[in-house]
Amino acid sequence: MSFVSFSFAFFVAAAVLLYYIVPAKHRYIVLLVFSYIYYVAACGKYVIYILVTTAVSYAASMAMEHFREDTEKLLKNGELLNDRARKKEIKARLKGRLKLIMILCLCVDIGILAVLKYSEFVFANINRLRLDLFGNTDFIGFGNLVIPLGISFYTFQTAGYIIDLYYMRYRAEKNPLKFALFVSFFPQIIQGPISRFNELSVTLFNGNRLKADNIRRGLCMILFGVGKKLIIADRLSAFIGRSVASYEVLNGEYMLLTLFLYSMQLYADFSGGINITIGVARLFGVEITENFNRPFFSKSVAEYWRRWHITLGTWFRDYIFYPISISKRLMKTGKRLSGVNEFFGKRFSLYTATIIVWTATGFWHGPEWRYIVWGLLNGIIMCVSAELEPLYEKINRRIGWSDTSVLHKMFSVFRTFWIMSLLRTFDLSVRGLGQAAGIFKKIFTEFGMIHSATLEEMGLPKDELMVAMAGVAVLFVISMLQRKKSIYDRLMGSKEVYRWIVCAASLTFIVIYGYYGPGYDAADFIYMQF
Amino acid sequence: MDEIIEILSGIHPEIDYETEDALIDKRIFDSFDIVTLVGELTDNYDIEIGPEELIPENFNSAAGIYALVTRLMEE
Repeated sequence: MSFVSFSFAFFVAAAVLLYYIVPAKHRYIVLLVFSYIYYVAACGKYVIYILVTTAVSYAASMAMEHFREDTEKLLKNGELLNDRARKKEIKARLKGRLKLIMILCLCVDIGILAVLKYSEFVFANINRLRLDLFGNTDFIGFGNLVIPLGISFYTFQTAGYIIDLYYMRYRAEKNPLKFALFVSFFPQIIQGPISRFNELSVTLFNGNRLKADNIRRGLCMILFGVGKKLIIADRLSAFIGRSVASYEVLNGEYMLLTLFLYSMQLYADFSGGINITIGVARLFGVEITENFNRPFFSKSVAEYWRRWHITLGTWFRDYIFYPISISKRLMKTGKRLSGVNEFFGKRFSLYTATIIVWTATGFWHGPEWRYIVWGLLNGIIMCVSAELEPLYEKINRRIGWSDTSVLHKMFSVFRTFWIMSLLRTFDLSVRGLGQAAGIFKKIFTEFGMIHSATLEEMGLPKDELMVAMAGVAVLFVISMLQRKKSIYDRLMGSKEVYRWIVCAASLTFIVIYGYYGPGYDAADFIYMQF
Repeated sequence: MDEIIEILSGIHPEIDYETEDALIDKRIFDSFDIVTLVGELTDNYDIEIGPEELIPENFNSAAGIYALVTRLMEE
């Protein structure tokens, strides 16, 4: 059931209707039932995996809560009031228990993800090594395993919850149905965002009252998201696929155009999907964290990753980067290395963690070497950029560019955009690293002019390109407007007549220029595959 | 407190740490800065800062960092 289909619209309408009919205290059950209907419709019997993750994580969270409550009771004991050593011992024992439960739970949750998503990649590489080294053709592996919908997203969301309980950042949810809803809430199961329990739970379990503002905002967000998907993303999809598939016969200028359009397509597709997710949730009064903050206006790669797929970035930062970079072992090694080489020692833990996190981020996107290389390159660029910062400042001072200079900002934005677009070559190279190398070679060695006849042959006639570019221009204007205030806040704060005009115009453009209808299947959201 | 401000000034000298109370919320300090700061604090005060302490409340201001260091030294 695609997000951009009439069946999904009816499904959401039925869910909204039932949600507000049912008494407030039972409304979360409506969301849970609809979430599972959605999941079973999409995955059938593979719903078992999300059920196992939910059951194991719930049991782990309850065990953690039990030990925490016991310890709190013990610490309240008057006899321990002045016994600091004993208190410390009790707290350390609790920490040890929580850690053990967390590790066991993560082994199951991440283990399911690892086996389903990554075992084929691991076995393929082992088999290749065995063949190359020993000529062994007796291949090992689990065969082709089905990867259930949204497994990377719900696994990370649940893992974040369990780690937060280990850190004692909040209390565990005791109601199993509410916890199951947190794991499976249908608008965000396909492509995130990866929500935090303490943020999502505030409005998810409330039994929110029907508010006109929520419905208006929700519909507006959905409309905006559908527009991005159907007018821009799906319009460019065919050309990008054909262009990359036939890169051998095309020159570098077509590859650059493809990378530019792919950046537009990916943003329209992913952020459009997230708009729909946030909009649908809003219809129930549920507030989901925003996943984008005008990423193409970033002045550095590090800033870009704070603005694109924000919830994945903060997940990796909080649960992988920080624990690794400030771990005792890495810090000690850094100190030891400082004795030999101060420059290297001081940066050791920071850059080691950065490279690990970015390799993991690449691997999260897919079990293929091209994603790992993509992640590694992102990490290397960030480390190198941090080191080059003083040099940049020196150059900027010499040429008279201040941080606030418009020209400097424009140059930084342009540079960041193209670094990220070039890195997306790995994303597009479905045939592997050889294809990526081939595309780079074309970009840097073979150059000419773009001909509209060639574009037409590739499935992108001039008028189609114009429509897509007009859509991109609208996105640009909206991004500029969003610098100080959300476009939805602006719209909701305006007169009713303006709201109707904007919504009617958006709907008209979608009807006229959107890619849909008989004989046309809306392309899957790109991030669904992750 | 002065020592904390001196450490912070070594990372971002342009900030007025006496008044700034949103180092994280305003993204003045990014994750690289936080890790550098944690390294300096652990070295200078012989404390252990765990990932659970890396929350905005503890790092938004010099006063918050001072309170964190004081608490961890007492523990």
